[in-house]
Amino acid sequence: MEHDYKKIGLKIGLEIHQQLNTRKLFCDCPSILRNDEPEYTVERTLNPVVGETGEIDVAAAHEKMKNKTFIYQVYDTNCLVELDESPPGKINIDALKIVLQIAELFKCKIFPITQVMRKTVVDGTNTSGFQRTVLVAHDGYVETGEGKVGIETIALEEDSARKVSEDEKTKTFKLDRLGIPLVEITTKPEIYSPGQGKEVALKIGEVLRACNVKRGIGTIRQDVNISIKGSKRVEIKGFQDTKMMVKTIDTEISRQEECVENGECKNEVRGALPDGSSKFQRPMPGAARMYPETDVPLLKISRELINEVKKNLPKLVSEHKSYLSEFGLNDELVKLILKQGKVEDFKTLSKVIESPELIAKSLTLFQKEIARKEGKSLIEVNEILNAHVLEAILEEVGKKISKNDVRTVMQKVVRGEALDEAMEKSDVDLREEVEKLVREKPGLSTGAYMGLVMGKFKGKVSGKEVADVLGEVLF
Amino acid sequence: MKTKTFAPGDRVALQTKSKLWKGYVLESHDSEVILLKLESGYNIGIREGEILDAKVLEKAKPKEKKEVVLEKNTKLKNVVIIITGGTISSRLDPKSGGVIPTDAEDILNIAPEIKEICNVVKIDTPFMKFSEDMDPKDWRKLAETCEPYLNDESVDGIIITHGTDTLHYTSVALSFFIRDLNKPIAITYSQRSIDRASTDAALNLICSAEYATSDIAEIALIGHKNSDDKSCIAMPAKRVRKLHTSRRDAFKIVNDTPLAEITSGKIKILKTFNARSNKKPKLDTKFQEKVSLIKVHPGQDPSIIEYYEQQGYKGLILETTGLGQVPGKSSSTNWLPKIKKAIQNGMVICATAQTIYGRLNPNVYSSGRELQKTGIIFLEDMLSETALIKLGWVLGHKNWNPKEKMLENVSNRLDKK
Repeated sequence: MEHDYKKIGLKIGLEIHQQLNTRKLFCDCPSILRNDEPEYTVERTLNPVVGETGEIDVAAAHEKMKNKTFIYQVYDTNCLVELDESPPGKINIDALKIVLQIAELFKCKIFPITQVMRKTVVDGTNTSGFQRTVLVAHDGYVETGEGKVGIETIALEEDSARKVSEDEKTKTFKLDRLGIPLVEITTKPEIYSPGQGKEVALKIGEVLRACNVKRGIGTIRQDVNISIKGSKRVEIKGFQDTKMMVKTIDTEISRQEECVENGECKNEVRGALPDGSSKFQRPMPGAARMYPETDVPLLKISRELINEVKKNLPKLVSEHKSYLSEFGLNDELVKLILKQGKVEDFKTLSKVIESPELIAKSLTLFQKEIARKEGKSLIEVNEILNAHVLEAILEEVGKKISKNDVRTVMQKVVRGEALDEAMEKSDVDLREEVEKLVREKPGLSTGAYMGLVMGKFKGKVSGKEVADVLGEVLF
Repeated sequence: MKTKTFAPGDRVALQTKSKLWKGYVLESHDSEVILLKLESGYNIGIREGEILDAKVLEKAKPKEKKEVVLEKNTKLKNVVIIITGGTISSRLDPKSGGVIPTDAEDILNIAPEIKEICNVVKIDTPFMKFSEDMDPKDWRKLAETCEPYLNDESVDGIIITHGTDTLHYTSVALSFFIRDLNKPIAITYSQRSIDRASTDAALNLICSAEYATSDIAEIALIGHKNSDDKSCIAMPAKRVRKLHTSRRDAFKIVNDTPLAEITSGKIKILKTFNARSNKKPKLDTKFQEKVSLIKVHPGQDPSIIEYYEQQGYKGLILETTGLGQVPGKSSSTNWLPKIKKAIQNGMVICATAQTIYGRLNPNVYSSGRELQKTGIIFLEDMLSETALIKLGWVLGHKNWNPKEKMLENVSNRLDKK
C-alpha cells in the first residue's frame, strides 16, 4: 500500500472534540457519567422543523421522524436544562477560559463578538432537537515537520446524550453526558500525508492535555476528512487512538483510488474500524442548519478576559520536559513529575531549596513508597503531603533536619504526627540509623539489631521506640 | 459608514484587519454591531469600528409569501384556528435573524397530523400580542372574533393559540363573556418555540384538534399532562393556573379534575360535560376595569385599600392567608377597619386563598370571624385570577347584586364542588 501522496493530491483535515473538565456548559450540573439506575425517565418526540428556505422537504422529514419515541434517563445530577424544560443559563466561564487558552496556544484570533447557535440535530441525542455551539476563535496553526497546518476554527459546544439502547420504535438515552462542554478544533485541509496527520493529532492532543480537559477513553473524539484528486471528501469518524490513524488513512486512500477508477465517488461519512478499515455510516449531511440560541445574549469576549487567559497559559508537556531536564533530573523523575502533574509544585519548591532531586523525589517516589508502607492510597498521601506541607519540611533542611530525614518526616506526617513533632531530631536519626544499619549488616536477628541501636543511642531512646522502628524497617 | 445601507438578508463582504468576512447580514439589537451569518452557519458580530471596507454582494430577496391552500376532506369536521401571539405564534427567521409571525403553513408544518383530524377552514389573527401585554379589551376582541364562528353551522370547533403568561386570565374571561356555548373551544400554547424540533406545540395542537372536533361544548385549556410528549389534558377554563415558568406542563388544574385526557387519535372523557348543541351563543362582554387583586402579606400597610378607593376602584380581591385571614386587631397593621370602611363606602371586596390550593373557611379562627364581620365576600375555592375577572364582569352589570352574583354558579361549570 505505497502511495505517492503528492501525486494523488491527498488532502486531510482533522476535527477533534475534547471534553473539558468543568461543570456543564449551560447549567450548573456536574459533568458526571452515571452507571446506576436513573431517578426517572421522560418520553419525548421530535418534530420536523419548519424549513429555512423551503429546501427541506418537511413532509419527508416528518415521515422519517414519525412514530420514533425517545426515552431519556434522568439522574439527580441533571436539571431542567438538560430535560429541555428550562432555558439555558449563562455560558460556563471556566469552560470558555479553557477554550481561550487552547485558542491562544494555537495562536488563533479570537472573535470579540460571537453568538451561541443551535445546530439542528433530530436523532434524539439532544432533548432540545439541537446542539448549542459557539465559535470562539479562528485562523491559528500547528507546526509540523512538514510545515504549518492551519486551524480553521475553534468552537465551544455541548456534548450529546449517551445512547443506551435502540429498537424499531424507541431510542433510549442517558442525560448524564448531555451538556458537558466540548472544544471542537477543526484544521484546514492542509495535511498532505498520513504521518503528518498523526503528528497534527498528537500535537493537538499535547496542547489539550496541558489544559484542564477530561482524561480517558471517550473524552476525546477524532474525525478525519480525506480526499484525493478526482474523489470526493469522505469523513471517517470515531478514532479513539492516533496509533491507527496512518493505517486507516492509507486504507481509505486505496478505497478512494478504486472509487475514482470506477467513477463512483460519493461524499460520505464512514466509521473507523479497529483493523484500520472503515464502514459506511451515512451520506454526508448538507450544510449544518444553524440558527441563533435566542435565550442567551451575544457572547462578548473582552480584551481583559483574553489578557487574563494569556497571563495564565499552561506550559506544554514538551516545554515542561525541557524545563525539568535543565535541573539535571533523570528521565524517570521527569516522567513521574509530568505524569502526576507536579510541575507547578516543583517550581514552587525549587525556590525553597536548591536540591532538584530531593524535591522531585519528595513529590513522587517518596510519596508512593509511604503510601505503600502505610497502606494508604496515593491520592490520600498526596493530599496530606501537599505543596505547603512539603515546603514547611524542606525549609528545615539544614536546620532542624538533614536531607536524609525528609522521607522519614514525611512518613510521620502521613501517620498523623504534627509537623514540629515529626521533625524532632532523635526520632529522625533513629529511623535513619536503623535503615543504615540494616543495609550495612543485612540478615541479623531483630535482637541483634536492637542491641546495636540501643548501644549507639545510649538511653536517648526507649526500647519500645527502637522495636517499633525495627519492626517497620524489617518487615 | 457603508454598513448603513445594509438590510437584513443582504449578502455582504466586510474587510476587517484580521480577515475578509463574507456572509448574510442579520437583524442586530446593538446598533454598533453588525451581526453576520457566515457560510458555515455560525453567527459572529463585528463592531462597526473594526470594519475597514464593506460591500453588498447581493441584496436580500423579498420573501415570497406562499398562499396555502387549505384542503378540505368532507369526512372531517371543520375547525377555525385563531392566532393571538406568544411563543406558539412566532418563529425566528434564520435568514434575517428577526421574529416573524406564524402562518397557516407553519402551523400545519409543526403538526401535519392535524390534517388527518380536521379541516382547518380558516386561520384568523385578530391581534398579535405577548400575553403579558393583553388587557380586558383584548379579551373582548377575542370573544367577538369567536362569535361569528360559533354561529356558523359549518364550523365545528375553535382552536385559539395564545401566549402562556396570562392564558389562564383569558380562558376565564372568555368563559364569562361567551354565554350558551354550543361547540368546543380549545385554547393552547407552547413553552418551547415552534422553530425547534422539541417544540411542545405539536402535541398541544394535535390534541387541541381532537378536542375541537369532540362533543364537549366547553372552553378548555389544552396542554401537556406532564413532561412526556405523550398526552394532553383538557383543563377547565376557570380552574387552571400557570404554575411553572418553563416546563411543558406549566398549567395545572387547581381544585378540580380534567375534562378529558387526549392523545393523538384518542380522547378519553373523564367527567360529565356540556354537550355540543344548536344553541345560539350570545356575548356579554360588559366589564368593569376598575378592579384589582392584592396579595396580603405580613407587615403590609392596609392604606393600600384607600389608594384604590381614591383611584376610583369599584372592587378588590384580597388574596388572604391560610383559611381566610388578614392581619387583625393584635397586629401592628390591622386591616379590618380599612376593609370595613371601604365596603361601607360601596367598594366590593372579596377574599380568595393565597395558598392557591384549598377552600377558605373563615369560621375556624377568630381572625377569620372578625374579617367576616367587615362584609367581605369569601369566594370559597375560587382561584384569585378567576375571582378578579368574575368581579370585573359582575361589576360591569349595574343592576346585578354583586354578592349574589359572585357566589352564583353563573357559568356552565360549577364554581363550587
